[in-house]
Amino acid sequence: MKITLQTDMNENLSPEKSFETISAMINTAKNKLADDGFLFIFWGWLVCFSSLFHYVFIKLDIQGGEYVWTLMPLGGIFSAVYAIKQNKRESVKTYVDDYLKYLWIAFGISLIIALLNMPTIGVKDTYFFFMILYGFATMVSGGILNFKPLIIGSIFAFICALASSYFGNAEQLLWIALSLICSYIIPGHMLRSQYKTEINA
Amino acid sequence: MLKELDPILHSQLRLALISILVGVKQAEFSYLKEKTNSTAGNLSVQLQKLKDANYIEMEKSFKNNYPQTMCKITKIGIKAFEDYVKDIQIYLKPKKK
Repeated sequence: MKITLQTDMNENLSPEKSFETISAMINTAKNKLADDGFLFIFWGWLVCFSSLFHYVFIKLDIQGGEYVWTLMPLGGIFSAVYAIKQNKRESVKTYVDDYLKYLWIAFGISLIIALLNMPTIGVKDTYFFFMILYGFATMVSGGILNFKPLIIGSIFAFICALASSYFGNAEQLLWIALSLICSYIIPGHMLRSQYKTEINA
Repeated sequence: MLKELDPILHSQLRLALISILVGVKQAEFSYLKEKTNSTAGNLSVQLQKLKDANYIEMEKSFKNNYPQTMCKITKIGIKAFEDYVKDIQIYLKPKKK
């Protein structure tokens, strides 16, 4: 809704005009898509590639495949820098931005705690927990952003988590890759495409 | 008798600014300028009036070596906005015959 604002100090503002102004302005930031999808795509591909790389090394009986996971802290630093830069660039900060920030901080802390506990709880349960976390975080994100592909993707991540428990450690890596394709990569690309469309509109 | 509307908010540009700020955490001067389609000079004057009434807070800083003004609605501003909305609702209610 586009209205022309009168800026004359002595304007005669009718209650109808006041109501029209409030209606037009109050939701200006409501439709702003708070996420450009980049970090979904970045983490989706990074973890998907790492899982597949590790799986291939296990199947070919090559030692050292697990070292691919050392990329994760680097990815974490890159994401933090990207998020801070993005935050500085934004000319408006909405409450949605805040909800998402705390969701992903909680997600990151949960992931780190699970990783630290991996020797105690075992590889299989840790991978299972990761997929649950992917599903949880993407479903909440999808709800906050009102973006259905993320919600649908999260359901696939939960299904992958459930299915993976019937397979061995190596095969669980394939389930992780699949869960990321469904919950991060595909919805992430869709989110980015919608974000670009909105920016160019 | 109908209540007098808050003179600080009963101005279209100031009302528009408060309506935007009530829905966001904080907004930059440039964002408010773009959304209200106002001139920088007029916007500064109106923002200052809202600040003087303690309806908003303004924080000045630098972004890429350019001055940046971040605006945020206060609790007093939210209350004033809510009261203003209630008051205009009374005006907008159909009169009984």
